[in-house]
Amino acid sequence: MTSPAPETFTPSARPPADLDAYWQAALDELEALPPAAEVDPLPLRSTDFADCYALKLTSIGPYRLFAYYSVPRGDGPFPAIYHAPAYASVVAVPPYEERRRHVVLSLCARGQRLSDRPFAASYPGLLTHGIESPASYIYRGIVCDAVRGVDFLLSRPEVDARRIAAVGNDLALLVAALRPRVAAVVMANPLFYAAADLAPATSTYPWEEINDYVRLSPDRAAAVFGTLAYFDPLHLAPRVRSAVYLPHDRPGGLFTAERLAPLVAALPDGATLYELTGYGYTDRCAQEAWLADQLGTRAG
Amino acid sequence: MPRPSPETYPSTTVKPADFDQFWTAVLAEADRLPLAPTFEPVPLRSTPQVDVFDVRFTSLDGLRIAAWYCRPAGRRGPLPGLIIVPGYVSEPLLPKLWAERGYAALSLAPRGKLRSNAQFNPGYPGLLTHNIVDRNTYGYRGFYADAYRAVDVLLSRAEVDRGRIGVHGSSQGGALTVLIAALRREITCGAAGAPYLCGFMDAAALTHSYPYQEINDYLRLYPERAGAVRATLNYYDIINFADRITCPMLINIGLEDDVCPPETGYALVRAMTNARVDLHVYPNCAHDAGSAFHARLVADFLAEHLHG
Repeated sequence: MTSPAPETFTPSARPPADLDAYWQAALDELEALPPAAEVDPLPLRSTDFADCYALKLTSIGPYRLFAYYSVPRGDGPFPAIYHAPAYASVVAVPPYEERRRHVVLSLCARGQRLSDRPFAASYPGLLTHGIESPASYIYRGIVCDAVRGVDFLLSRPEVDARRIAAVGNDLALLVAALRPRVAAVVMANPLFYAAADLAPATSTYPWEEINDYVRLSPDRAAAVFGTLAYFDPLHLAPRVRSAVYLPHDRPGGLFTAERLAPLVAALPDGATLYELTGYGYTDRCAQEAWLADQLGTRAG
Repeated sequence: MPRPSPETYPSTTVKPADFDQFWTAVLAEADRLPLAPTFEPVPLRSTPQVDVFDVRFTSLDGLRIAAWYCRPAGRRGPLPGLIIVPGYVSEPLLPKLWAERGYAALSLAPRGKLRSNAQFNPGYPGLLTHNIVDRNTYGYRGFYADAYRAVDVLLSRAEVDRGRIGVHGSSQGGALTVLIAALRREITCGAAGAPYLCGFMDAAALTHSYPYQEINDYLRLYPERAGAVRATLNYYDIINFADRITCPMLINIGLEDDVCPPETGYALVRAMTNARVDLHVYPNCAHDAGSAFHARLVADFLAEHLHG
């Protein structure tokens, strides 16, 4: 299939007419449930400079979630880095060095390991689970799970609520849209951005899950892309008040600067675009430097 | 102070005197079990170019292990075979792109991965330190046997050319690539990226990144068990398998890799004394190990040795 021409790229999906109502109903459902947080020490994953906790929270469903929560020793409040759930079964323990100067939260959304009862996600499979309608789509719950993580951070006295960064795929941007107190967002490899146009342009998973589904059930294509439109960060971008960092592919990749341009334009304050070099250490250092600038933690 | 050269970092890995005996016994135990492979077509994941199958087979301790098998649609062979082995936390990918390149490709989900975790599920973190004080029940004992058996699964297919079998993976997949190339004479070539499970204790001393940090976490709570941990890991250190390899190998490492320190990658290559090794070292790369540039070299290397 032919890829959309980058220089003329305009996402085809329009915002659903009831987009705001859809998300307000989800947030209302979340609001109605107490998070019932349990914060239990996790000595095995603690260090001499940070205490790690096993955190449990309730999200819509109701569904009980697990998260790793790390707090530096010493006097807070501390800036926080929130690792929004990635598209993977495993959620990693917060990175060692990050934990020195930040509160770090790594949340396991429903379906991921440690939050996989009663629902255990399949990979591939999760991206199209219940995709026939926005009401049944699994990501309605997963976005609420991610929002619950931000709400937890905002509730904690050891967290500097003015300095919270969300890092991840679209979920990082979506939670910033739904919880505008997030100060900074790093969004890489989005799942939902212009999915109707970009998924057919690749055969790489997880996007290939969408292609698989539509190939087998072409009669449901309109419903599939109709559901995905509720999750497209392009459509929620106008709500974002955060600084945004968008690592993107070099020309020839799937997520190039040209293809992300409509998203940048939709963000009230634009975004910092960073072209990935292919040198992983160089790229990581650049991202860490940007985050440190946003959170006021740059050394020296 | 400048960092010492990773190239000359002295490995502290020791090969136990009964290393070969230990593994001969484990693999013989696995060999005694009928493989009983099944290949169920998966229409949802198949395309006009690629047939996809959900694979199950029996491995050590009687566990049923999963894999994905992808082959070019409409081709009956003989096809070059390719085993794809997964990283530590990642779920095995469907190797459709390899099938599109003409390979009969098997992507393994060793025990503990989602589709192979009904009877063994130590978790992540967890696998690296599962029974780490006992070489006879350590988590990787069965895991390595699953990788060993994957070759038999691929060879059970009539369309696979027994004389052209490659293996490829990165990180834990890099380690398993080396392991399979060491244990199976049927392997024609292997391409291993950022190999993990090499010089475990050295790596744990060199980094605080997971998964090796699991060892540091464990020893912080149980420092008195360090000797037992090291003794177990010497039986599982991929460096100790390396001198068995005789097929061509392509290796890539990142000089800024904080997950699998380059020191341990160099130690592995030094130990591959009987193989022709093409080592590619990528500055300014971390655990990606230069994959943005190296992927094309892997494709060319496998094509050269497997497609002729």
